[in-house]
Amino acid sequence: MRTTFEGYRRSDGTVGVRNHTLVMSATGLTGPTAKRISSALAGSRLITTPYGSGLMGEDAELQVRALAGFACNPNVAAVLVIGGTGPHVTRIAEQVARTGRAVEALVLDDCEHDAITLTERGIRLGARLMREASRARRTTIPARELFVAMECGRSDPSSGLVANPLVGAVVDAIVDAGGRALFGETIEWLGAEHLLAARAANAAVADDIVAAVRRREQAAVAAGMDLLGNNPGPTNIAAGLSTIEEKSLGSIAKGGRSQVRGVVRIADEPPRASGLYLMDAPAYAPESVGGFVSAGAQIVLFTTGVGNSFVSGIAPTIKISGNPNACARLHEQLDFDASDVFARRTSLAVAAERLHDLVLDVASGTLTWGEILDEGEDVVSRLGPAL
Amino acid sequence: MSAAAVLLSDADNVATLLAPAKAGDDVVIDARTDEIRVRALEPIALGHKIALVDLAPGDRIVKYGECIGQATKAIARGAWVHVHNLRSVRAQAPAS
Repeated sequence: MRTTFEGYRRSDGTVGVRNHTLVMSATGLTGPTAKRISSALAGSRLITTPYGSGLMGEDAELQVRALAGFACNPNVAAVLVIGGTGPHVTRIAEQVARTGRAVEALVLDDCEHDAITLTERGIRLGARLMREASRARRTTIPARELFVAMECGRSDPSSGLVANPLVGAVVDAIVDAGGRALFGETIEWLGAEHLLAARAANAAVADDIVAAVRRREQAAVAAGMDLLGNNPGPTNIAAGLSTIEEKSLGSIAKGGRSQVRGVVRIADEPPRASGLYLMDAPAYAPESVGGFVSAGAQIVLFTTGVGNSFVSGIAPTIKISGNPNACARLHEQLDFDASDVFARRTSLAVAAERLHDLVLDVASGTLTWGEILDEGEDVVSRLGPAL
Repeated sequence: MSAAAVLLSDADNVATLLAPAKAGDDVVIDARTDEIRVRALEPIALGHKIALVDLAPGDRIVKYGECIGQATKAIARGAWVHVHNLRSVRAQAPAS
Protein backbone atom coordinates (compact mmCIF):
# COMPACT_ATOMS: atom_id res chain seq x y z
CA MET A 1 0.00 0.00 0.00
CA ARG A 2 1.34 3.42 -0.98
CA THR A 3 2.17 5.78 1.86
CA THR A 4 2.58 9.18 0.18
CA PHE A 5 0.83 11.55 -2.20
CA GLU A 6 1.73 14.80 -3.95
CA GLY A 7 0.06 17.78 -2.28
CA TYR A 8 0.30 21.51 -1.61
CA ARG A 9 1.82 22.36 1.78
CA ARG A 10 0.20 25.62 3.02
CA SER A 11 1.91 28.18 5.23
CA ASP A 12 -0.34 27.19 8.16
CA GLY A 13 0.95 23.60 7.93
CA THR A 14 -2.19 22.11 6.36
CA VAL A 15 -1.97 20.22 3.08
CA GLY A 16 -4.17 20.77 0.05
CA VAL A 17 -4.91 18.23 -2.66
CA ARG A 18 -6.10 21.04 -4.96
CA ASN A 19 -5.02 24.65 -5.38
CA HIS A 20 -8.30 26.52 -5.72
CA THR A 21 -9.02 30.23 -5.82
CA LEU A 22 -12.47 30.93 -4.40
CA VAL A 23 -14.80 33.70 -5.40
CA MET A 24 -17.14 33.88 -2.44
CA SER A 25 -20.27 35.93 -1.98
CA ALA A 26 -20.79 36.08 1.78
CA THR A 27 -24.26 37.67 1.46
CA GLY A 28 -27.31 36.98 -0.67
CA LEU A 29 -27.17 40.41 -2.35
CA THR A 30 -23.91 39.77 -4.16
CA GLY A 31 -24.38 36.23 -5.48
CA PRO A 32 -24.93 37.26 -9.13
CA THR A 33 -21.86 39.54 -8.98
CA ALA A 34 -19.75 36.68 -7.61
CA LYS A 35 -21.03 34.49 -10.44
CA ARG A 36 -19.94 37.11 -13.02
CA ILE A 37 -16.51 37.47 -11.42
CA SER A 38 -15.98 33.72 -11.19
CA SER A 39 -17.02 33.14 -14.80
CA ALA A 40 -14.35 35.67 -15.86
CA LEU A 41 -11.66 33.81 -13.89
CA ALA A 42 -11.17 30.41 -15.55
CA GLY A 43 -10.92 27.60 -13.03
CA SER A 44 -11.96 29.67 -10.00
CA ARG A 45 -14.54 28.11 -7.65
CA LEU A 46 -17.75 29.97 -6.89
CA ILE A 47 -19.39 30.00 -3.45
CA THR A 48 -22.67 31.81 -2.88
CA THR A 49 -25.37 31.93 -0.22
CA PRO A 50 -28.93 33.24 -0.42
CA TYR A 51 -28.82 34.44 3.23
CA GLY A 52 -27.63 37.52 5.02
CA SER A 53 -28.53 39.89 7.83
CA GLY A 54 -31.84 38.15 8.69
CA LEU A 55 -30.10 35.19 10.26
CA MET A 56 -30.19 34.92 14.04
CA GLY A 57 -28.25 33.26 16.83
CA GLU A 58 -26.85 29.85 15.98
CA ASP A 59 -27.75 30.24 12.29
CA ALA A 60 -25.90 33.56 11.97
CA GLU A 61 -22.90 31.95 13.62
CA LEU A 62 -23.09 28.84 11.42
CA GLN A 63 -23.25 30.94 8.28
CA VAL A 64 -19.94 32.69 9.04
CA ARG A 65 -18.31 29.53 10.42
CA ALA A 66 -19.24 27.51 7.33
CA LEU A 67 -18.27 30.17 4.77
CA ALA A 68 -14.97 30.81 6.58
CA GLY A 69 -14.53 27.05 6.72
CA PHE A 70 -14.81 26.79 2.92
CA ALA A 71 -12.30 29.62 2.56
CA CYS A 72 -9.85 28.01 5.01
CA ASN A 73 -10.14 24.50 3.54
CA PRO A 74 -6.61 23.21 2.81
CA ASN A 75 -7.53 22.85 -0.90
CA VAL A 76 -7.95 26.62 -1.14
CA ALA A 77 -4.95 28.84 -1.94
CA ALA A 78 -6.61 32.24 -2.29
CA VAL A 79 -9.99 33.83 -1.64
CA LEU A 80 -11.85 36.84 -2.99
CA VAL A 81 -14.74 37.48 -0.62
CA ILE A 82 -17.44 39.97 -1.54
CA GLY A 83 -20.64 41.06 0.18
CA GLY A 84 -23.18 43.80 0.68
CA THR A 85 -21.74 45.39 3.74
CA GLY A 86 -18.66 45.42 5.96
CA PRO A 87 -18.70 43.40 9.20
CA HIS A 88 -19.81 40.06 7.76
CA VAL A 89 -17.23 40.11 4.97
CA THR A 90 -14.48 41.44 7.24
CA ARG A 91 -14.99 38.64 9.79
CA ILE A 92 -14.50 36.00 7.10
CA ALA A 93 -11.56 37.80 5.46
CA GLU A 94 -9.80 38.15 8.84
CA GLN A 95 -10.16 34.43 9.54
CA VAL A 96 -8.73 33.58 6.13
CA ALA A 97 -5.83 36.02 6.59
CA ARG A 98 -4.89 34.33 9.89
CA THR A 99 -4.21 31.08 7.99
CA GLY A 100 -1.69 32.88 5.76
CA ARG A 101 -3.83 32.46 2.63
CA ALA A 102 -4.06 35.31 0.16
CA VAL A 103 -7.39 37.10 0.62
CA GLU A 104 -9.08 40.20 -0.77
CA ALA A 105 -12.41 41.64 0.39
CA LEU A 106 -14.81 43.94 -1.47
CA VAL A 107 -18.22 45.27 -0.43
CA LEU A 108 -21.01 47.03 -2.34
CA ASP A 109 -20.92 49.86 0.22
CA ASP A 110 -17.45 50.78 -1.08
CA CYS A 111 -18.52 50.51 -4.74
CA GLU A 112 -21.26 53.16 -4.56
CA HIS A 113 -23.76 50.29 -4.41
CA ASP A 114 -22.98 49.46 -8.03
CA ALA A 115 -22.74 45.75 -8.86
CA ILE A 116 -20.90 46.55 -12.12
CA THR A 117 -18.18 48.44 -10.26
CA LEU A 118 -17.93 45.55 -7.80
CA THR A 119 -17.66 43.12 -10.73
CA GLU A 120 -14.83 45.09 -12.37
CA ARG A 121 -12.81 45.45 -9.18
CA GLY A 122 -13.46 41.84 -8.29
CA ILE A 123 -12.20 40.52 -11.62
CA ARG A 124 -8.96 42.54 -11.32
CA LEU A 125 -8.28 41.52 -7.70
CA GLY A 126 -9.32 37.92 -8.33
CA ALA A 127 -7.05 37.64 -11.39
CA ARG A 128 -4.06 38.74 -9.32
CA LEU A 129 -4.93 36.27 -6.57
CA MET A 130 -5.16 33.43 -9.08
CA ARG A 131 -1.84 34.23 -10.69
CA GLU A 132 -0.12 34.29 -7.29
CA ALA A 133 -1.86 31.03 -6.24
CA SER A 134 -0.60 29.29 -9.36
CA ARG A 135 2.99 29.61 -8.10
CA ALA A 136 2.33 26.84 -5.52
CA ARG A 137 3.89 23.44 -6.33
CA ARG A 138 3.06 19.93 -5.17
CA THR A 139 5.54 18.14 -2.92
CA THR A 140 5.60 14.62 -1.51
CA ILE A 141 3.37 14.37 1.56
CA PRO A 142 2.89 11.41 3.96
CA ALA A 143 -0.56 9.78 3.79
CA ARG A 144 -1.10 10.61 7.48
CA GLU A 145 -1.87 14.19 6.33
CA LEU A 146 -5.09 12.98 4.68
CA PHE A 147 -8.42 14.11 6.08
CA VAL A 148 -11.29 12.38 4.27
CA ALA A 149 -15.05 12.62 4.75
CA MET A 150 -17.58 9.92 3.91
CA GLU A 151 -21.05 10.43 2.50
CA CYS A 152 -23.71 8.26 0.91
CA GLY A 153 -26.45 9.34 -1.44
CA ARG A 154 -29.18 7.44 -3.28
CA SER A 155 -28.21 4.34 -1.35
CA ASP A 156 -29.57 0.91 -2.06
CA PRO A 157 -28.97 -2.48 -0.48
CA SER A 158 -25.68 -2.78 -2.41
CA SER A 159 -24.38 0.25 -0.47
CA GLY A 160 -24.51 -1.59 2.84
CA LEU A 161 -23.20 -4.81 1.29
CA VAL A 162 -20.33 -3.45 -0.79
CA ALA A 163 -19.59 0.28 -1.24
CA ASN A 164 -19.88 1.33 2.42
CA PRO A 165 -17.83 -1.54 3.91
CA LEU A 166 -15.29 -0.95 1.12
CA VAL A 167 -14.97 2.72 2.05
CA GLY A 168 -14.85 1.64 5.70
CA ALA A 169 -11.82 -0.54 4.98
CA VAL A 170 -10.04 2.38 3.27
CA VAL A 171 -10.96 4.70 6.14
CA ASP A 172 -9.51 2.21 8.64
CA ALA A 173 -6.25 2.20 6.63
CA ILE A 174 -6.15 6.02 6.52
CA VAL A 175 -6.83 6.29 10.26
CA ASP A 176 -4.29 3.55 11.07
CA ALA A 177 -1.70 5.51 9.07
CA GLY A 178 -2.37 8.57 11.26
CA GLY A 179 -4.93 10.38 9.11
CA ARG A 180 -8.37 11.70 9.95
CA ALA A 181 -11.84 10.72 8.78
CA LEU A 182 -15.29 12.20 9.35
CA PHE A 183 -18.85 11.20 8.62
CA GLY A 184 -22.23 12.66 9.57
CA GLU A 185 -25.85 12.16 8.46
CA THR A 186 -27.03 11.80 12.08
CA ILE A 187 -30.46 10.43 11.17
CA GLU A 188 -28.64 7.53 9.50
CA TRP A 189 -27.14 6.46 12.83
CA LEU A 190 -30.71 5.77 14.05
CA GLY A 191 -31.03 2.07 14.79
CA ALA A 192 -27.25 1.67 14.72
CA GLU A 193 -26.30 4.25 17.35
CA HIS A 194 -25.60 1.53 19.94
CA LEU A 195 -22.91 0.12 17.63
CA LEU A 196 -21.28 3.54 17.20
CA ALA A 197 -21.56 4.31 20.92
CA ALA A 198 -19.84 1.00 21.71
CA ARG A 199 -16.87 2.23 19.64
CA ALA A 200 -16.72 5.64 21.35
CA ALA A 201 -13.39 6.70 22.87
CA ASN A 202 -15.11 7.43 26.20
CA ALA A 203 -18.52 7.67 27.86
CA ALA A 204 -18.95 11.36 26.99
CA VAL A 205 -18.53 10.63 23.26
CA ALA A 206 -20.95 7.69 23.53
CA ASP A 207 -23.50 9.99 25.21
CA ASP A 208 -23.02 12.61 22.47
CA ILE A 209 -23.76 10.01 19.77
CA VAL A 210 -26.95 8.75 21.42
CA ALA A 211 -28.14 12.28 22.27
CA ALA A 212 -27.56 13.52 18.71
CA VAL A 213 -29.71 10.72 17.27
CA ARG A 214 -32.43 11.26 19.88
CA ARG A 215 -32.63 15.00 19.05
CA ARG A 216 -33.24 14.26 15.34
CA GLU A 217 -35.65 11.42 16.10
CA GLN A 218 -37.64 13.67 18.45
CA ALA A 219 -37.63 16.48 15.87
CA ALA A 220 -39.20 14.10 13.34
CA VAL A 221 -41.81 12.97 15.89
CA ALA A 222 -42.56 16.57 16.93
CA ALA A 223 -43.06 17.51 13.27
CA GLY A 224 -45.50 14.60 12.93
CA MET A 225 -43.26 13.23 10.23
CA ASP A 226 -43.04 9.59 9.17
CA LEU A 227 -39.44 8.79 8.30
CA LEU A 228 -40.67 6.22 5.78
CA GLY A 229 -40.75 8.02 2.44
CA ASN A 230 -38.33 10.67 3.69
CA ASN A 231 -35.44 8.58 4.94
CA PRO A 232 -35.43 6.00 3.47
CA GLY A 233 -36.66 8.11 0.54
CA PRO A 234 -38.58 6.93 -2.53
CA THR A 235 -35.41 6.00 -4.45
CA ASN A 236 -34.04 4.01 -1.50
CA ILE A 237 -37.36 2.20 -1.07
CA ALA A 238 -37.67 1.30 -4.75
CA ALA A 239 -34.19 -0.20 -4.54
CA GLY A 240 -35.10 -2.38 -1.54
CA LEU A 241 -34.34 -0.46 1.67
CA SER A 242 -37.37 -0.80 3.96
CA THR A 243 -36.62 1.12 7.16
CA ILE A 244 -34.29 3.77 8.57
CA GLU A 245 -32.72 1.08 10.80
CA GLU A 246 -31.81 -1.01 7.76
CA LYS A 247 -30.41 2.02 5.95
CA SER A 248 -28.42 3.13 9.02
CA LEU A 249 -26.85 -0.29 9.60
CA GLY A 250 -25.54 -0.17 6.03
CA SER A 251 -24.67 3.51 6.22
CA ILE A 252 -22.39 3.37 9.27
CA ALA A 253 -20.25 0.73 7.56
CA LYS A 254 -18.53 3.57 5.69
CA GLY A 255 -16.98 4.59 9.03
CA GLY A 256 -15.05 1.32 9.19
CA ARG A 257 -14.24 -0.18 12.57
CA SER A 258 -12.04 2.48 14.14
CA GLN A 259 -12.67 4.06 17.51
CA VAL A 260 -14.95 7.13 17.39
CA ARG A 261 -12.85 9.95 18.84
CA GLY A 262 -15.52 12.63 19.08
CA VAL A 263 -18.69 14.27 17.76
CA VAL A 264 -18.40 17.76 16.24
CA ARG A 265 -21.02 20.33 15.25
CA ILE A 266 -21.76 20.97 11.60
CA ALA A 267 -18.90 22.86 9.87
CA ASP A 268 -16.60 22.50 12.90
CA GLU A 269 -13.14 21.10 12.32
CA PRO A 270 -12.43 17.99 14.42
CA PRO A 271 -9.25 17.99 16.52
CA ARG A 272 -6.02 17.74 14.52
CA ALA A 273 -5.23 14.41 16.27
CA SER A 274 -5.62 11.38 13.99
CA GLY A 275 -8.77 9.28 14.16
CA LEU A 276 -12.39 8.87 13.16
CA TYR A 277 -14.88 11.64 14.07
CA LEU A 278 -18.61 12.11 13.63
CA MET A 279 -20.45 15.29 12.61
CA ASP A 280 -23.94 15.88 13.98
CA ALA A 281 -25.55 17.20 10.79
CA PRO A 282 -28.36 16.78 8.25
CA ALA A 283 -28.17 13.80 5.90
CA TYR A 284 -29.10 15.54 2.64
CA ALA A 285 -25.93 15.43 0.53
CA PRO A 286 -25.40 19.14 -0.28
CA GLU A 287 -25.81 20.20 3.39
CA SER A 288 -23.87 17.23 4.72
CA VAL A 289 -20.93 17.45 2.29
CA GLY A 290 -20.87 21.24 2.77
CA GLY A 291 -20.43 20.63 6.50
CA PHE A 292 -17.48 18.28 5.90
CA VAL A 293 -15.75 20.65 3.47
CA SER A 294 -16.20 23.58 5.89
CA ALA A 295 -14.61 21.34 8.52
CA GLY A 296 -11.51 21.02 6.33
CA ALA A 297 -11.94 17.64 4.61
CA GLN A 298 -9.67 17.42 1.55
CA ILE A 299 -11.46 14.53 -0.17
CA VAL A 300 -14.99 13.12 0.02
CA LEU A 301 -15.58 9.37 -0.43
CA PHE A 302 -19.16 9.28 -1.68
CA THR A 303 -20.93 5.94 -1.99
CA THR A 304 -24.10 5.46 -3.96
CA GLY A 305 -26.37 2.62 -4.93
CA VAL A 306 -28.28 3.74 -8.00
CA GLY A 307 -26.16 6.84 -8.72
CA ASN A 308 -25.82 10.40 -7.41
CA SER A 309 -24.11 13.22 -9.28
CA PHE A 310 -23.65 15.72 -6.42
CA VAL A 311 -20.05 16.61 -5.58
CA SER A 312 -18.19 19.32 -3.68
CA GLY A 313 -16.51 22.00 -5.76
CA ILE A 314 -13.66 22.32 -3.24
CA ALA A 315 -12.98 18.75 -2.14
CA PRO A 316 -12.62 16.19 -4.96
CA THR A 317 -15.48 13.73 -4.45
CA ILE A 318 -14.85 10.10 -5.36
CA LYS A 319 -18.04 8.26 -6.37
CA ILE A 320 -18.18 4.58 -5.50
CA SER A 321 -20.92 2.04 -6.25
CA GLY A 322 -21.29 -1.72 -5.99
CA ASN A 323 -24.61 -1.85 -7.85
CA PRO A 324 -23.95 -3.73 -11.13
CA ASN A 325 -26.73 -1.87 -12.99
CA ALA A 326 -25.49 1.56 -11.88
CA CYS A 327 -21.88 0.66 -12.72
CA ALA A 328 -22.95 -0.41 -16.21
CA ARG A 329 -24.85 2.86 -16.76
CA LEU A 330 -22.81 5.59 -15.08
CA HIS A 331 -19.32 5.40 -16.58
CA GLU A 332 -18.78 9.17 -16.37
CA GLN A 333 -20.17 9.52 -12.86
CA LEU A 334 -18.74 6.63 -10.85
CA ASP A 335 -15.00 6.93 -10.19
CA PHE A 336 -14.80 3.45 -8.68
CA ASP A 337 -16.72 0.41 -9.90
CA ALA A 338 -17.12 -2.12 -7.08
CA SER A 339 -19.66 -4.32 -8.89
CA ASP A 340 -17.08 -7.13 -9.04
CA VAL A 341 -17.27 -7.24 -5.23
CA PHE A 342 -21.08 -7.41 -5.40
CA ALA A 343 -20.78 -10.30 -7.88
CA ARG A 344 -18.30 -11.95 -5.46
CA ARG A 345 -15.57 -12.13 -8.09
CA THR A 346 -13.26 -9.85 -6.08
CA SER A 347 -12.71 -9.78 -2.34
CA LEU A 348 -13.44 -6.63 -0.38
CA ALA A 349 -9.79 -6.52 0.78
CA VAL A 350 -8.43 -6.50 -2.80
CA ALA A 351 -10.91 -3.83 -3.89
CA ALA A 352 -10.06 -1.75 -0.80
CA GLU A 353 -6.40 -1.63 -1.85
CA ARG A 354 -7.43 -0.46 -5.32
CA LEU A 355 -9.68 2.23 -3.82
CA HIS A 356 -6.94 3.33 -1.41
CA ASP A 357 -4.61 3.80 -4.39
CA LEU A 358 -7.29 5.83 -6.20
CA VAL A 359 -7.66 8.09 -3.13
CA LEU A 360 -3.90 8.80 -3.20
CA ASP A 361 -4.03 9.34 -6.99
CA VAL A 362 -6.88 11.82 -6.65
CA ALA A 363 -5.05 13.48 -3.75
CA SER A 364 -2.08 13.87 -6.12
CA GLY A 365 -4.11 15.52 -8.89
CA THR A 366 -6.00 12.85 -10.84
CA LEU A 367 -9.38 14.38 -11.67
CA THR A 368 -12.70 12.91 -10.58
CA TRP A 369 -15.64 12.77 -13.02
CA GLY A 370 -17.40 15.36 -10.89
CA GLU A 371 -14.48 17.79 -11.35
CA ILE A 372 -14.26 17.18 -15.09
CA LEU A 373 -18.00 17.69 -15.53
CA ASP A 374 -18.04 20.65 -13.10
CA GLU A 375 -20.84 19.23 -10.93
CA GLY A 376 -19.37 20.82 -7.81
CA GLU A 377 -21.32 22.99 -5.41
CA ASP A 378 -20.71 23.96 -1.78
CA VAL A 379 -23.59 25.20 0.33
CA VAL A 380 -24.28 26.12 3.95
CA SER A 381 -27.02 24.35 5.94
CA ARG A 382 -29.69 26.18 7.97
CA LEU A 383 -30.84 25.49 11.52
CA GLY A 384 -33.88 27.60 12.29
CA PRO A 385 -36.10 30.58 11.43
CA ALA A 386 -34.77 33.93 10.19
CA LEU A 387 -35.89 37.50 10.80
CA MET B 1 -33.90 -21.90 -11.81
CA SER B 2 -32.04 -20.62 -8.81
CA ALA B 3 -31.04 -17.13 -7.72
CA ALA B 4 -28.34 -16.14 -5.27
CA ALA B 5 -28.73 -14.26 -2.02
CA VAL B 6 -26.51 -13.39 0.88
CA LEU B 7 -26.99 -13.71 4.62
CA LEU B 8 -25.06 -11.04 6.52
CA SER B 9 -25.21 -12.55 10.01
CA ASP B 10 -26.18 -15.95 11.38
CA ALA B 11 -28.85 -14.23 13.47
CA ASP B 12 -30.63 -12.83 10.38
CA ASN B 13 -34.10 -13.99 9.39
CA VAL B 14 -33.97 -12.30 5.98
CA ALA B 15 -31.42 -12.56 3.14
CA THR B 16 -30.57 -10.02 0.42
CA LEU B 17 -30.89 -11.07 -3.22
CA LEU B 18 -27.79 -10.67 -5.39
CA ALA B 19 -29.86 -11.44 -8.49
CA PRO B 20 -33.61 -11.14 -9.13
CA ALA B 21 -35.78 -14.17 -8.34
CA LYS B 22 -39.02 -15.29 -9.98
CA ALA B 23 -41.87 -17.00 -8.13
CA GLY B 24 -40.89 -20.65 -7.69
CA ASP B 25 -37.13 -20.06 -7.97
CA ASP B 26 -34.95 -21.86 -5.48
CA VAL B 27 -32.88 -19.09 -3.94
CA VAL B 28 -29.46 -20.31 -2.87
CA ILE B 29 -28.36 -18.37 0.17
CA ASP B 30 -24.69 -18.07 0.96
CA ALA B 31 -24.64 -18.26 4.75
CA ARG B 32 -20.86 -18.64 5.09
CA THR B 33 -21.12 -21.70 7.36
CA ASP B 34 -23.51 -23.60 5.11
CA GLU B 35 -25.87 -23.14 2.20
CA ILE B 36 -29.60 -22.58 2.65
CA ARG B 37 -32.20 -22.97 -0.10
CA VAL B 38 -35.50 -21.13 0.06
CA ARG B 39 -38.19 -21.25 -2.63
CA ALA B 40 -39.29 -17.71 -3.61
CA LEU B 41 -43.09 -17.40 -3.26
CA GLU B 42 -43.22 -14.31 -5.47
CA PRO B 43 -40.89 -12.25 -7.70
CA ILE B 44 -38.18 -10.49 -5.67
CA ALA B 45 -35.88 -7.85 -7.18
CA LEU B 46 -32.12 -7.59 -6.83
CA GLY B 47 -31.19 -6.04 -3.47
CA HIS B 48 -34.57 -6.84 -1.93
CA LYS B 49 -35.13 -9.23 1.00
CA ILE B 50 -36.53 -12.76 1.24
CA ALA B 51 -37.86 -14.29 4.48
CA LEU B 52 -35.92 -17.36 5.65
CA VAL B 53 -38.50 -18.42 8.24
CA ASP B 54 -42.23 -17.97 8.84
CA LEU B 55 -42.78 -14.70 10.72
CA ALA B 56 -45.76 -13.52 12.78
CA PRO B 57 -47.02 -9.93 13.13
CA GLY B 58 -44.80 -8.12 15.63
CA ASP B 59 -41.78 -10.36 15.04
CA ARG B 60 -38.44 -8.59 14.81
CA ILE B 61 -36.88 -8.58 11.34
CA VAL B 62 -33.13 -9.10 11.70
CA LYS B 63 -30.46 -8.11 9.12
CA TYR B 64 -26.77 -7.40 9.83
CA GLY B 65 -27.53 -9.24 13.10
CA GLU B 66 -29.57 -6.20 14.20
CA CYS B 67 -33.27 -5.37 14.36
CA ILE B 68 -34.35 -3.40 11.26
CA GLY B 69 -38.04 -3.27 12.24
CA GLN B 70 -41.14 -5.36 12.92
CA ALA B 71 -43.36 -7.56 10.78
CA THR B 72 -46.76 -5.87 10.34
CA LYS B 73 -48.45 -9.07 9.13
CA ALA B 74 -47.70 -12.75 8.82
CA ILE B 75 -44.80 -13.36 6.45
CA ALA B 76 -44.22 -16.85 5.06
CA ARG B 77 -40.80 -18.37 4.43
CA GLY B 78 -39.85 -17.41 0.87
CA ALA B 79 -41.95 -14.21 0.80
CA TRP B 80 -40.67 -10.77 -0.18
CA VAL B 81 -40.01 -8.61 2.91
CA HIS B 82 -40.38 -4.88 2.34
CA VAL B 83 -42.43 -1.81 3.31
CA HIS B 84 -45.75 -3.67 2.78
CA ASN B 85 -45.04 -6.06 5.67
CA LEU B 86 -42.15 -4.47 7.61
CA ARG B 87 -42.18 -1.25 9.67
CA SER B 88 -39.53 0.72 11.53
CA VAL B 89 -39.93 0.60 15.32
CA ARG B 90 -38.33 4.02 15.71
CA ALA B 91 -39.27 7.69 15.29
CA GLN B 92 -42.82 7.11 16.51
CA ALA B 93 -44.74 9.15 19.07
CA PRO B 94 -44.20 7.69 22.58
CA ALA B 95 -46.91 5.24 23.67
CA SER B 96 -47.32 6.85 27.12
